[in-house]
Amino acid sequence: MTLFKVLRFVCITALAVNLAAEELTGEAIMQTMDDTRRSTNDSSFTRLKLSSCTFGVNKGRIACAERPRVKVLESVSINHGKDNKDTKSLSITLEPPAERGIGMLTYGYDEAGRNNQTWLYLSALGRVKRIAGGDSDEETEPASIFGSEFTTEDTDTGKLAEYSFKRLEDTTQSGRKVWKVESLPNVERAKKSRYSRTVHYIDQERYVVLRSEMYDKYGKEIKRVMASRVELVNDNWLARSVTMMNLVSNRLSNMAFVEIYTDLDINDAFLTQRTLTDNAYRETGLEALRAQTQ
Amino acid sequence: MLKRLFLYPFAMLLLLLATMVAGQGTKPEDPAGDPFGDELNFDDDLFGDAFDSPETTKEPSWLDGFTVRLSQQLFWQVNNHSVEPIPGLRIPKQADLENNRLGLNFRYQNAFAPGWLLQSTGQARWYWKDDYEYADNNDNIDTEYRINELYLQRSFGQQSLKFGRQTVVWGETVGNSVLDVINHTEFRDFTIIDIEDARLNQWMLVWDVFSTDSQWSSFINLYPEFNPVALSGSPFYANTGYNIGDYKRGSESLFEVGTQWRKSFESSDISFMAAYLYENQLSYDYPSEGYGDALAKNNDFALLGFSANRAIGKLLLNLDLAISLGVLPNQSSFPGMTAQGSSLEIKKDQIGASLGFEYAISSDQSISLGIQANKLIDEREGLVSGQVPVNEGVFGSWLVRYRNALSNGNLVVSSTLQGDLEADSLFVALGVDYSVNDHWAVAGQIISTTANQQTPMVLFDADVRVGVTVTYSF
Repeated sequence: MTLFKVLRFVCITALAVNLAAEELTGEAIMQTMDDTRRSTNDSSFTRLKLSSCTFGVNKGRIACAERPRVKVLESVSINHGKDNKDTKSLSITLEPPAERGIGMLTYGYDEAGRNNQTWLYLSALGRVKRIAGGDSDEETEPASIFGSEFTTEDTDTGKLAEYSFKRLEDTTQSGRKVWKVESLPNVERAKKSRYSRTVHYIDQERYVVLRSEMYDKYGKEIKRVMASRVELVNDNWLARSVTMMNLVSNRLSNMAFVEIYTDLDINDAFLTQRTLTDNAYRETGLEALRAQTQ
Repeated sequence: MLKRLFLYPFAMLLLLLATMVAGQGTKPEDPAGDPFGDELNFDDDLFGDAFDSPETTKEPSWLDGFTVRLSQQLFWQVNNHSVEPIPGLRIPKQADLENNRLGLNFRYQNAFAPGWLLQSTGQARWYWKDDYEYADNNDNIDTEYRINELYLQRSFGQQSLKFGRQTVVWGETVGNSVLDVINHTEFRDFTIIDIEDARLNQWMLVWDVFSTDSQWSSFINLYPEFNPVALSGSPFYANTGYNIGDYKRGSESLFEVGTQWRKSFESSDISFMAAYLYENQLSYDYPSEGYGDALAKNNDFALLGFSANRAIGKLLLNLDLAISLGVLPNQSSFPGMTAQGSSLEIKKDQIGASLGFEYAISSDQSISLGIQANKLIDEREGLVSGQVPVNEGVFGSWLVRYRNALSNGNLVVSSTLQGDLEADSLFVALGVDYSVNDHWAVAGQIISTTANQQTPMVLFDADVRVGVTVTYSF
């Protein structure tokens, strides 16, 4: 699993389109999302904080029932390949202490049937290790992202042809006017999906998904996403705080984009196996990226 | 003794409860009716502090590079039984506490200047009452300190130099590679069963040259070290009637040197390597007087190797090949065990292969299998009548690991099975690791060993060990 997928998920919230609102269909909204995600994600440096906890409802408000578990990660990602649709990404775990220093390098390919490549570095192993996980889009069941309630399925916005979309109604969410857009997987996608139906609430002015509801095959809502802290980042509106609530397990995860920078000058050589093992090289490279963000 | 067996689990239960309490925050009222209705209010500031977290606001400090882990471990051999290493000689083994120790492990990493890095890991141990090292220290609390890793790294251009105590790992097969012989190891007792935890670092200079998809990595070790002898009182200690000590260095200068070339292709990595090494396990001569100090002897040899992996969907295949020129044919195929006092000092050439696979059953479950097989070339050549090589024919071991991560990875169930190819011994370990929160973790383990008289492992036949470890990381 890579942070690239995470960024793709954030791009659900980035609908930088200037089309007349009345002309938008569900398909048009989703297609725009897919087009904009690559430009938003390319050459990016991100610091991400994932907080997870069991939750309850106190006086009508959601609250953690325990001290949240926190993971902090730094990620670097670039696009490459044909039509710039392939990705190379590196993620380094900073917190919790027991996982500090774990590095993962992933080469993702847009081409159907072409397996992603992943290498992992654990100091206990003392070497870089290739991980065989197949193409997560095609072969494996949805997997948790870094132990959170977000899964690979939640972060995947590509392959629009595998879904049908329908604009349902205009309503309000968090005090803002939104469209409700329904997403239904086709037969093939449904076999691999945990959701039979998803409903997005999309801010009509900023084109940001403020809420999503995921339903199982029995029509029961099993997950809900709530987004906040919508800010303009590099000309794209982004929800920098996204919370996924698992309504079955009563567990939630918040994904906070503490820092996100795009369009940076990232050397292709930085996204190689050397960066996993050569800590001096890696830290020098990360410092150079931080300097670009100043 | 029986009383202690009950007291320690009770103490560990209290520790566990304490850690669980530490992980609790304010408990909200229980949801009533439909808690997830449309009008449910979501607190926008629930995780608002994520954006003003300390790591983005505080001044960097050199202390930031420290990671510390404290762990308290208890391990019992719980089966009252006896072993019969040779026919007619039966040795009773009582259920007893073997390990009662507090450990402190630290890791420090500081990229103090562009292209420079200092890294160190180390450990301290305190051996409490009833630990075998406590007993060996005349019933006093024993302490031990060790720097595992300490190196300075300089990276520039396409190159990197690392000097200091460090690890070099060759081979692809997890935990069972014929090429993973650069660093020496210490299997002190059954609490260390994975080679990843048993490797000891050595003083080396490592030079890496990187290109886009390949890497040259070379090392020189001017102070080769050897597997330490089993500590008196530990499960692996065997009282032979004479002293088995460490290698006594004379005026001779020892060194090891090796190089590896690694290249990555899509779905595959390959490596070629060559090295001049000393066998990590010393061999011993009986004292000529029949008592006193045994004579520790080293043995140098040359290693040629090849390794490769191939990812096919969720399956990863691993292959390691090794040709060892000039080894002594007295090694046990079981890690940590060595046939001592062998009179066979004729150097032999040996070919070895490790073959394994790792398979991701699902996003949470994985299984791996590794088989290591070795064969001495011309194994009987040079032997006098009546002499028999310790390892005849194909010998080696196999290793199976299974892992299932539950509850988003907070609960990990794992098992390890290990045995030799001759089916003389079997080692089974079941483990449960639970992360209570970001700092506290609890691990439990059950280990069973079975062996016959064809292997030194017979001393552990029918042993059953139960252990628990509580860990705090910060």
